[in-house]
Amino acid sequence: MDFVETDEHRDLRAAVASVSAPYGGDYYVDHARRGAECTELWHALGDAGYVGVSVPEAYGGGGGGLVELALVCEETAAAGAPMLLLLVTHAISAAVIAEYGTEEQRKEWLPGLASGRDKVVFAITEPGAGSNTHQLATNARREGDEWVIRGEKYYISGVDEAEALLLVARTGTDARGKAQLSLFLVPTDADGLQKVPLPVDVLLPEKQFTLRFDDVRVPASALVGDENQGFRQVFHGLNPERITGAALCVGIARYALAKATRYANDREVWGRPIGTHQGVSHPLAKAKIETELAALMTQKAAWLHDRGLPAGEASNMAKYAAAEAALAACDAAMQTHGGNGVSQEFGLLPYWGLARLLRIAPVNREMVLNFVAQTTLGLPRSY
Amino acid sequence: MNIVVLIKQVPDTWSERKLSDGDKTLDRASSDAVLDEINERAVEEALKIKEAGDAEVTILTAGPDRATDAIRKALSMGADKAVHVNDEAIHGSDAIATAKVLAKAIGTVGDVDLVLAGNEATDGRSGAMAGMLGELLGWPSLTHANELTVENGTAKAKRETDEGTSDLEASLPAVVSVGEKINEPRYPSFKGIMAAKKKPVTTLGIADLGLDASEVGLAGSLVQVDSFAPRPPKSGGQKVEDEGDGGAKIAEYLVGQKLI
Ligand SMILES: Cc1cc2nc3c(=O)[nH]c(=O)nc-3n(C[C@H](O)[C@H](O)[C@H](O)COP(=O)(O)OP(=O)(O)OC[C@H]3O[C@@H](n4cnc5c(N)ncnc54)[C@H](O)[C@@H]3O)c2cc1C
Ligand SMILES: Cc1cc2nc3c(=O)[nH]c(=O)nc-3n(C[C@H](O)[C@H](O)[C@H](O)COP(=O)(O)OP(=O)(O)OC[C@H]3O[C@@H](n4cnc5c(N)ncnc54)[C@H](O)[C@@H]3O)c2cc1C
Repeated sequence: MDFVETDEHRDLRAAVASVSAPYGGDYYVDHARRGAECTELWHALGDAGYVGVSVPEAYGGGGGGLVELALVCEETAAAGAPMLLLLVTHAISAAVIAEYGTEEQRKEWLPGLASGRDKVVFAITEPGAGSNTHQLATNARREGDEWVIRGEKYYISGVDEAEALLLVARTGTDARGKAQLSLFLVPTDADGLQKVPLPVDVLLPEKQFTLRFDDVRVPASALVGDENQGFRQVFHGLNPERITGAALCVGIARYALAKATRYANDREVWGRPIGTHQGVSHPLAKAKIETELAALMTQKAAWLHDRGLPAGEASNMAKYAAAEAALAACDAAMQTHGGNGVSQEFGLLPYWGLARLLRIAPVNREMVLNFVAQTTLGLPRSY
Repeated sequence: MNIVVLIKQVPDTWSERKLSDGDKTLDRASSDAVLDEINERAVEEALKIKEAGDAEVTILTAGPDRATDAIRKALSMGADKAVHVNDEAIHGSDAIATAKVLAKAIGTVGDVDLVLAGNEATDGRSGAMAGMLGELLGWPSLTHANELTVENGTAKAKRETDEGTSDLEASLPAVVSVGEKINEPRYPSFKGIMAAKKKPVTTLGIADLGLDASEVGLAGSLVQVDSFAPRPPKSGGQKVEDEGDGGAKIAEYLVGQKLI
């Protein structure tokens, strides 16, 4: 066993951190407040090959794996600029297209995803089916050379920034009444696709949308992978989404703890730094421990996934632990800052909001606990 | 064209930098070590020449084991190979002894056309290496270049000073030291990082360079640090009393500090 990071990974961390540093927290928070996309940083990371780090080399990517993509997610977040869309554009869409797409689909989408100039976002959640994917109602039916899509998705991130969606739709129903799913690449400017902004009170640079598909027609070539195999194929992207989500949380926690530590060392209220008081230092120490534990599990999950080993359990555990650690770190950092903890100047609340969101999405804490209870511990299923 | 870039690993300017109490040399263990930023600019300049035409870029450093991190960074930016002079005997060398080592090491790279260095290292700050190397190699040295063009066997450099701009020109081979304003160094790309480990690095000791331990290190140095004192804590600074001429006085102060 070896817990020492390779030189390449250390160098990758340092390089991503140095690209992100000139942007950092002030840049991110300003964009989050205005709901403006962080294009400059995304492009800077893309130009150096970090956005496309996990895209296969044959299509212009770095040829790395999830370990590397997770490092990029962690380091940008640790610099104060979490890039939430990487969880869908690269952890899911690029990976699914690379694995199941046709050669034409790969040639069309992967080079743009590799350079960071194109985005393909991911649409699965529906008003009537969030945690329970078996209930998805948006359906696609075959008509001659086309698929005709009807239904509604919501909370879909980054549609305004993206060229296309990787859409999960129902193409059949099995004997037990469960949805048979298929994946489609749908251009975001398709006729009949209505995009309605869905405002959230979490400050984010990325916008969310309700999508209405009113007989949206796509060619037969828009199907990704095999018809009715969408469930299995989506799963290829869901562990990576959890792992990169966990990495993002580890980065947020590091950022919040770094800010809090600086403040606790500088701020004096009773003639010595407030970090002297254990009421201040212990929550920070506890959050630090939780962050390091989450980081270890995140790396393990990414490592398992890259080796083609079962990574579901580790991915779920990492996602759970990292979201909790990020929340604890943001909360402790805000408490450390006193009134400044909620000020715009210190800009901590946007990170708390993002961490809070990541306890719910991309998979909520309770579904993770269900997985561990049922799959790991072998307890009876609750649903 | 055959280009050698001299790089130095230095204590990160953000971390606390100390000299060791014993032999009064740099306490390298006490701080994070990084590739000196001015050397990233020297590497960048070499890579620009390589990309504009045809050149092989060799990184050269004299430093301890962990200088391999700095070498890897330069290689990940796109340099082709490296020479690492790593010998305990070099510890404590002054500028002249360092220049001797580097001159010999440059000799191992073959017919070199151009040596690029930083104008001044952020730790030693003697700002002497390019001049000394020119002297030892018998080559012209163009120092403090804020612009460089290399074509048809000549190097042309622009140097800005407080008084004005100098245009310098020399035939190759030459030594050029670069200034802060010469370029913005690139970030290593992911592919560059993955490729760096596979690039050849030759490690040499002073014996490989035909040098004797008495010619380098503390023993072979003319200059030794005798004593040192930490910088005194910041004092109150200079107060300007405003008697209606406060603005002018502040401007005067800033001019005096060469800030405006
Ligand atoms: C800002 C934001 C961005 C998003 N981006 C995207 C995106 O890009 N693409 C996309 O497809 N989706 C996206 N989502 C949707 C997100 O993935 C879902 O909100 C999430 O999966 C939870 O689903 P839901 O909201 O339908 O919750 P529901 O399924 O309605 O669940 C509500 C709550 O009930 C509890 N619960 C549900 N089932 C169980 C159970 N079996 N056992 C115990 N408790 C249970 C959980 O606590 C859960 O939080 C985004 C959401 C937000 C808020
Ligand atoms: C605090 C301190 C004070 C010192 N004072 C003196 C002194 O007064 N007189 C004296 O002779 N020496 C002095 N030295 C030693 C001197 O710094 C070293 O000999 C050093 O290796 C060369 O000088 P420099 O770093 O100042 O180089 P500079 O001339 O400032 O460096 C310019 C460029 O030369 C190249 N270069 C420098 N060192 C190396 C290297 N080891 N390998 C590859 N390239 C290199 C780099 O491109 C660098 O950017 C001092 C050192 C310290 C730490």
